[in-house]
Amino acid sequence: MLGCRQALIISIKDEHREGRAVDIEALANQYSSKTPEDILRLALESFDNVAISFSGAEDVVLVDMASRIQPDVRVFSLDTGRLHPETYRFLDRVRERYPIRFEALSPDAMAVERLVREKGLFSFYQDGHQECCGIRKVGPLRRRLQSLDAWVTGQRKDQSLATRATIAVVERDAAFSTPEHALVKFNPLANWTAAEVWDYIRSNDVPYNELHERGFVSIGCEPCTRAILPYQQEREGRWWWEDAADKECGLHKANVAVRRR
Amino acid sequence: MHITLVKKIKADGSPCRKCAEVVDRLERSQLLGRIDRVVVADERDPDSEGMQLAGRYNVDWAPFFIVEDDSGGERIYTSFFRFLKEVLGQNPRQEEETTEMMRQNPDLDFL
Ligand code: SF4
Repeated sequence: MLGCRQALIISIKDEHREGRAVDIEALANQYSSKTPEDILRLALESFDNVAISFSGAEDVVLVDMASRIQPDVRVFSLDTGRLHPETYRFLDRVRERYPIRFEALSPDAMAVERLVREKGLFSFYQDGHQECCGIRKVGPLRRRLQSLDAWVTGQRKDQSLATRATIAVVERDAAFSTPEHALVKFNPLANWTAAEVWDYIRSNDVPYNELHERGFVSIGCEPCTRAILPYQQEREGRWWWEDAADKECGLHKANVAVRRR
Repeated sequence: MHITLVKKIKADGSPCRKCAEVVDRLERSQLLGRIDRVVVADERDPDSEGMQLAGRYNVDWAPFFIVEDDSGGERIYTSFFRFLKEVLGQNPRQEEETTEMMRQNPDLDFL
């Protein structure tokens, strides 16, 4: 007799193999109050073609949890070329500590060269971070995701009220799915708090980025990340110079749902 | 085919920067002539034609394009680069597309 989880995994695999859409919303409801380990296990066992995105920060807990489920799990990091030396050292420590299949994804060299030639090395302070992040992060990420059916991120609701408050533990990836390629995104830590993440790190002796000891909470690229003070919002440590109002291309009075091509 | 571009005036009366960039890009590529109509969505005036169109087509993003084909079918594009590829047959640079993805998906700030 098959257990509930195994039956679910088989049905997801069948649906996927036969090209039928997996009912992501039902799955999200079913798993909304499960532990991160349960959600991770579902991701790794339901999809053969799945990888974990690791930023070099406290999402290391995902690597620790996943390597207990599937030791040779695939893990990738976006090597923007602008990370802190501490982060590079940490990525390597994680790579050595766990038997994972680790990849560092690099941006398209020609695109970086063109950006630097036209706008210099710090264009994001004037133009906003979208162009540089687009080239150094989204380009290589999109390329990698095209060959995956599912990916796992360390996003948590408590990281940003503005952009994370409603993330589900599993969702259809709206940004990277295409009409030809449906991509599933798992966020096993969605409902965990920072305190729970750090409890896990301490109790399981998980290695962490030394920048955390110097007041860095959210860790990204060196020029775009800063330490924050106690009780500051985590996201205040990233792209702090940008005016939130200027990021908006929304139509504020339209009061409508999104419909995009 | 009939193409309408809807661009935005912000609530403080200033023009939307992204809309200006899109118009500039079309002009530089000598494609502005392919746009049949430009309509303004003025955030200060919910009755402005562009705001009405946004409401009718359930769009909350500017600029956007309404493409009517000869058989009367309509397609809405909020992705400028997808519009460039699919409607105007252009081949934009990957970095133009990824910048737009960052702008349209603020939740990608977790990367
Ligand atoms: S975080 Fe800053 S340096 Fe890194 S890719 Fe984005 S804009 Fe560029």
